[in-house]
Amino acid sequence: MDAMSDSATKDQATEAQVAAALARCATGDRAALRVVYDAEAGRMAGVARRMLRRQDLAEEAVQDTFVRVWRSARTYDPGKGAARSWLYAILRNCALSILRDEGRFIADEHVAEEAAPMTESALARLPETSALRRCLERLDPQRRAVVVLAYVHGLSHGELAGKLGVPLGTVKSWVRRSLISLQECMG
Amino acid sequence: MNAPDRNEQTIAAEYVLGLLDHAENADMERRLSSDPALAREVESWRLRFSEFDDTTAPRPAGDELWRRVETAVADPAVRAETAAPAFTRFWNSLAVLRATAMGASLAALVLAVGLGFAIHAARQQPIMIAVLLDGDRAGAVVHTFADGRHVLLPLTSIDVPRGRALQVWTLPSRERGPVSVGLMNQARTLELSLADLPATRPDQLFEITLEPETGSPTGRPTGPILFKGNTASAL
Repeated sequence: MDAMSDSATKDQATEAQVAAALARCATGDRAALRVVYDAEAGRMAGVARRMLRRQDLAEEAVQDTFVRVWRSARTYDPGKGAARSWLYAILRNCALSILRDEGRFIADEHVAEEAAPMTESALARLPETSALRRCLERLDPQRRAVVVLAYVHGLSHGELAGKLGVPLGTVKSWVRRSLISLQECMG
Repeated sequence: MNAPDRNEQTIAAEYVLGLLDHAENADMERRLSSDPALAREVESWRLRFSEFDDTTAPRPAGDELWRRVETAVADPAVRAETAAPAFTRFWNSLAVLRATAMGASLAALVLAVGLGFAIHAARQQPIMIAVLLDGDRAGAVVHTFADGRHVLLPLTSIDVPRGRALQVWTLPSRERGPVSVGLMNQARTLELSLADLPATRPDQLFEITLEPETGSPTGRPTGPILFKGNTASAL
């Protein structure tokens, strides 16, 4: 079996496993939450860490995520989307609320870093065959950066404007145009 | 419902990126529950961007963090919002009943509601169960559901040496011999692939063997049998 179809099969197996475990969480089965944790928590911590930069905050985001998953497993509807999309949407929400919590001070370690290398290193990790990568690479570097940095590092419009040294309105219009190009390119 | 126009598609993407402000975000969440086309748009953006999430090197998150999760979900404020299993709810309602000595008509109502939950739960119960044993130690159960799904649930942790995997087999018939229906690198809940096989019969053998990481090279079990058992109809 070649590497790509092997990983596709593995992804399908993980998806089925997570979906089945969420159904069991909805009945109050704590062991099923552990199944989701074992399957995804490590990756979730990595995703949260790219946004929050600190391991302790990343773990806090993962913990918040699992509490919300446990509490709202009943509302997950497999007809509306993949189980893993649902999990990672909750994780993004939890990480962003920590990141944007005005009540606490999180040293913004993103500030010092240049937009271009941050963007390129995120892109370089995508597989060569990735449609997302191909379509992002077609965009002008700064317009590519706004989308990548917003998703991967959780930057807001204001933070993007600061990092790229352009007005807020310009960032907003770059984001919109980049998303339109991506939509057309990815179909 | 019309397909989302370009502006809607962009807003869906900005929502996924986390770029909407508070009011826009709240508005989006309200609309998502009632607008399936918009919900599909959001899901398709989530799937597109999820490629970035998959580039994170998966590292084990560890037991320490799990203990924090467990403590947090054990908090009564959290637990209260979780659906208790039907029977727990049923017995809880009886306990409430005894404690407050409610009237007989209300008691009948509570019983009826409890039974309703129990019947609902029963619809999702397996039609056949195989308990996979090692001697008298139960390692896993295989549930067969009316819709043809088979789910393996581990009952114990199983040591899997590095570079090895657990492979699940069934014996649909003696002539055909054992067929692989699942592979995993650790004991976990696994949906088995029996779709291409004849319907599972009572007394059909399931077993778990220890095999190389990518599964048995011969397509037949080669490693030691860890657990085995036969299906029986659920009562």
